[in-house]
Amino acid sequence: MMPSQPPKHLVIYADDDPDDLELVRDSFEKYAQNVELISFEDGRKALQYLLALAQQRTTPCLIILDINLPGLDGKEMLKTIRTIHHFKDTPVVLFTTSSQPTDKAFARNLDAGFMTKPLSYEQMDLITEQFIEHCAEDIRKKIRRQLG
Amino acid sequence: MLMTLEEFESLAESPKLDLLYTQGVYIGKCAKEGCITLLFQLDSFYVELFYLKYRCFIKRIDLFTSPEAIDDYLQPVDIENLAR
Repeated sequence: MMPSQPPKHLVIYADDDPDDLELVRDSFEKYAQNVELISFEDGRKALQYLLALAQQRTTPCLIILDINLPGLDGKEMLKTIRTIHHFKDTPVVLFTTSSQPTDKAFARNLDAGFMTKPLSYEQMDLITEQFIEHCAEDIRKKIRRQLG
Repeated sequence: MLMTLEEFESLAESPKLDLLYTQGVYIGKCAKEGCITLLFQLDSFYVELFYLKYRCFIKRIDLFTSPEAIDDYLQPVDIENLAR
């Protein structure tokens, strides 16, 4: 009999840039055993998926949002997510190319993280760890323990 | 204090990228010479990154002050649709 696998932790990622989508998918590859990354290129579709998750009482361990998204941009999405009771404490990160102070403040005001997209291999190497750092402590420990 | 193009040019690649990462204003992305390129504004000049591998390995970094050089990054806007 096969040992049962623990359920994967869900990460939702919305970004319309195919290169960045691929980059983040690759960066989560080392956690593939215990993290499932579900990505969307359109903000409205990502939000529809999140609403369906809320109906199923399923909560992702992290939501990553690019700011410039078609359909519904990342900041509008963040505002909407925070109005949904089911996601009021869910970690969200705005992931963007510019490090504008106004965007940082916007994220902070809605209890979300803010990360600038990397420009080099050294910065790239750190981003998955920084993403995981935004998850709740117990999930963070599980993800890292399972990796070890 | 604002950094000049010459001061930025004299830095090694790693501190250049760190400065762009923390202070650069992203303008756009396009494809040139078989590379993906990103354009940033830093103080009074522009920095263009040419990637061998996107966001990982850089082929070269170009600096310029002429705003004409950002034309490649400007997306055409359909004014007719805006007016409707």
